[in-house]
Amino acid sequence: MNRKVVSLILTAAMAATLLAGCGSSSSGGGGGSKTDAGSSAASTESAAPAATEAATQKEAAEDLTGIDAIIAQAQTMSAEDLYKKAIEESNGKTFYGVGNSSRGKTALPLFIDHLKTIDPGYNMEFEWQQPKNNKIFEQLSADSLKDTGTFAMTLIQDGNQIQTKMVDTGILKTYIPKEWAEANGTTADAYDGFLPLQTLNKVFMFNNTGSAKYTNCWDFIYKDQHPLYMDIDSELVGKNFLYMLTQDKYADMLKAAYDKLDDAHKAYFDPVIKELSQDAEDFGLGENGAYALAWIKLWVENYNAQTDDGPICNTLVDKSAKDQAGLLVYSKLRSVEESATVSVNNITVAAYQDGYTGIGGYGYCHYLFLTKNSPLPWTACAFIQYMTCTVDGFSAWGKDMGGYSANPEVAKQTEETYHHQTGGQDESGKDVYPAKDDRGYDWWTTTGELVLEDPQYCADAAFGVGSWIETLTKYADASK
Amino acid sequence: MENTIARKKKSAILLNKIKTFFVKPQNVILLMFGIVLTCSTLAPVIAIVRDTFVIHPGTIDQHLTGKSSGYSLVNYIDLFTSRLAGTNLWKPLMNTVLLSVLACLISILYGGIFAYLVTRTDMRCKKYLSSIFIFPYIMPQWTLAVVWQHMFNSNKVTGTADGLLASLFHVAMPKWFCQGLFPSALVLGLHYAPFAYILIGGIFKNMDANLEEAATILDTPRWKIFGRVTLPMVKPAILSTILLVFGSAMGSYPVPHYLNLTTLSTKYISMNSKYTGEASILAIIMMIFGVLILGFNQTTLTSRRNFTTVTGKSGQLSKVHLGRAGKHIVAVVFIILTFFTSIWPIVLFALETFLPNPGDYSFLYTGDFSNLTTKWWITHENITENGMYGQQGILYNPTIWHAFKGTLFLAVMCALIAGTIGTLIGYSVAKNRRSKWAGYVNNIAFLPYLMPSIAVGAAFFILFSNQHINLFNTYTLLIIAGVVKYIPFASRSSLNSMLQLSNEIEEAAIIQNIPWIKRMTRIIIPIQKSSIISGYTLPFMTCIRELSLFLLLCTQGFILSTTLDYFDEMGLYAFSSSINLILILTILLFNTLIDLFTGASLDSGVGKEK
Repeated sequence: MNRKVVSLILTAAMAATLLAGCGSSSSGGGGGSKTDAGSSAASTESAAPAATEAATQKEAAEDLTGIDAIIAQAQTMSAEDLYKKAIEESNGKTFYGVGNSSRGKTALPLFIDHLKTIDPGYNMEFEWQQPKNNKIFEQLSADSLKDTGTFAMTLIQDGNQIQTKMVDTGILKTYIPKEWAEANGTTADAYDGFLPLQTLNKVFMFNNTGSAKYTNCWDFIYKDQHPLYMDIDSELVGKNFLYMLTQDKYADMLKAAYDKLDDAHKAYFDPVIKELSQDAEDFGLGENGAYALAWIKLWVENYNAQTDDGPICNTLVDKSAKDQAGLLVYSKLRSVEESATVSVNNITVAAYQDGYTGIGGYGYCHYLFLTKNSPLPWTACAFIQYMTCTVDGFSAWGKDMGGYSANPEVAKQTEETYHHQTGGQDESGKDVYPAKDDRGYDWWTTTGELVLEDPQYCADAAFGVGSWIETLTKYADASK
Repeated sequence: MENTIARKKKSAILLNKIKTFFVKPQNVILLMFGIVLTCSTLAPVIAIVRDTFVIHPGTIDQHLTGKSSGYSLVNYIDLFTSRLAGTNLWKPLMNTVLLSVLACLISILYGGIFAYLVTRTDMRCKKYLSSIFIFPYIMPQWTLAVVWQHMFNSNKVTGTADGLLASLFHVAMPKWFCQGLFPSALVLGLHYAPFAYILIGGIFKNMDANLEEAATILDTPRWKIFGRVTLPMVKPAILSTILLVFGSAMGSYPVPHYLNLTTLSTKYISMNSKYTGEASILAIIMMIFGVLILGFNQTTLTSRRNFTTVTGKSGQLSKVHLGRAGKHIVAVVFIILTFFTSIWPIVLFALETFLPNPGDYSFLYTGDFSNLTTKWWITHENITENGMYGQQGILYNPTIWHAFKGTLFLAVMCALIAGTIGTLIGYSVAKNRRSKWAGYVNNIAFLPYLMPSIAVGAAFFILFSNQHINLFNTYTLLIIAGVVKYIPFASRSSLNSMLQLSNEIEEAAIIQNIPWIKRMTRIIIPIQKSSIISGYTLPFMTCIRELSLFLLLCTQGFILSTTLDYFDEMGLYAFSSSINLILILTILLFNTLIDLFTGASLDSGVGKEK
């Protein structure tokens, strides 16, 4: 809500400036500027409008009340000041957090220890919850009904549901730490979006003990292929992946990969693509939309649903799972222990192969929010600041491969600390497990053709392409 | 003047009537619990019904109505008429009914036959078999499903890694055997067979054989005696078993989830995010089925003739002789069967805690025992990456032991409260059998059992986590939910036994002016001790590994079942297996203690020689 208010006030202020006929040129075409995380392009603005804008922002912040006012103030504060506020607010109290990642529980004691370095007498109890089966949204919704909530903040995934159930309804509030914004070449007010802690990747892998070859992303849905995947109704970010494929950028990637298939493969896929051309048009998709729909249809009708990525990983690394493939969280590989029949070397990360064509996997974010009725808002802001802006704060996730901080500086330092890019090498530098050499966020989002979640796009697609997906017969249902 | 006298008379009569009404303890019990249970049962039902009409932001109802709040019928219209009706409603409904019916059949046949053999025949090894038979009920139901996967999955058929059978013997079982209706029904049937064993066995054990002997004297064939005399006497227990198993199977989420069967409960979970209101309609449908079964049971209860099996007269139990070889052969058959349903899963659980990776039985194929590890037990730090996802070993894991203490406290409280309330209700209903109010109290007490646990949990969460009262993540909330949900165990068990109890026994004491408390503690409870103890032990055992009900009401490390589920979902089977072992040992320990102090533990109430 506060962002909307700020935007409105800014727009009004700009319009007033223009109407006043001061002679300054308009600073933008339509609406507010958008700056994505990771973008290093800083906007160049003249000093005078910047000063006006800053003054307007200050006024807007002063108009805010409750949690919005605290967030607005916190966004201008240094880490040290924020930590002091947190100490003042939460000393001797209990902090409740809820999240899709269990690692919040690991990060909280580190945060408390950090605050103790400022005030040795500080102490805070904490409780971290990780609800199952999508219940995090119900918990947060129910908690939002109280004047003062139980949960101070959340670490949450699934951009689609966050957008429609949490942000559009005002249940969750975005706080952008000052340092995080600066590291991303923007400001808290200019940044338009949720605050990501990290991007996680699910990547295509296959068991290499047989003879099957997967050199193109279309190979995973070719005849008689049944890759292992968490059921899309069980983990909804998996559904978002399918929605995202219909976005022009990724549909074009699928088309480019299709073009590299041999004639036999093309002949197998062509009827499906043709059949779905009209649907693609009805959904208003781009010129390659039919390729995306065809891929989605064949994926849904063929994937072998599993309960979690852990069991999928356990299966794929076993030598008996000959030729099986799967799409699973990359970091699961870290927990494989070598034995007579189980080895990380029994799998190949598809995108790491020379000559592999097409999308290599899917990237989704863990986002951080304050609740609208947070009982400890300053502490929540400070904790978020700590996780997103320090290597120690991010270490709960950063020590593992396959999770990339959205703060470029933290990401860089994390790599320097944990050396994930050479994670498969032994002490002598020999590459023992090449699959564990994490090539990093930049590689995955460019060469690796990782499909990235866009919350707004997913929310828009949920009742168009999303409803169409629900009419498809899943492999699990069809085979009975 | 006359009017005044008439008025006084009327009020005196009314006062007398009230006095007379309250003199009978069963009336006070029924009135009190009737009111309390109406509130505690209807509040969640109303919450779920309301949910079917509410427009939920970000879900299909908002999309279809274009509104972000308010009420609408759109959920009903969409669920029943859209092109997804087959996928979202009819197919899951059919699967659910089939699953529930099959689970009932399997549990009643397996548990009933076993109960008969234990109580009415001279089969050998009764004590051992009786103890071992209840193990599948002690274990959380989905763990048997996980064991099933580990046993029968194969790369060839299920497209996964090979299970034990495929790895060791190169046998790939067909898909219908590995996933879907058959294994789901079998697993649930085996899981609930102890229900049938306890309930039916309790009747068999207490049954006076005079009726059967009379039929024998009249030269009635054995099968006819069984069909015309024995079976009608155990009919209340069979009906109770059907009620309990049907309701539980219908609301079972984890078993069909792990074994890939789409049922109403799995649909309830999968639809909840985008079709929240429609998911609640599925919950209502499950409840309607439950109410129908309850109605059927009620009709049978009121229309049937007298089922008194325990009278003031002397009674004795005659045993059917299976023959010199027969008694051994039957015992061996059941020893083998129970080995696979009770011992083998435990062996696998224990083994799992020593495997290097979840499901990695490479030491069996290679004969190399160095492939085994003790890391899952003794790791005392969580810094080194050794495949334990940052967890400490079982012995040092604070999450597991904290959850263990929480579970014990919760289970004991739920058992004591639900057991006592249920027993009193069962007693009172049996005493006022013909009263409509008694019938109502009996039904309203049973209703929560028929609601899917996950829906009841959601409703309690909404009720007790709001701006006025916040009981989230407290034992109070878990105990309230547990008690409401588990009263039926005790009330059914108690009602069954009380219905068998002839009024003449208590009447003899009433004539001698013995107070009610003394009548209960000295006469009623001792006579029906085993059934009443079942009314405490069933809630205890169920509560100790209940998941769906508590999923929304507490954090993951709060109780053991949510912790177990977390590890299972993560694929960390060593931890979940160890929790299973802890649960089994705990229940066995409690069972033994109860046996020691009361002589009427869960299984020995049936299996022990009289």
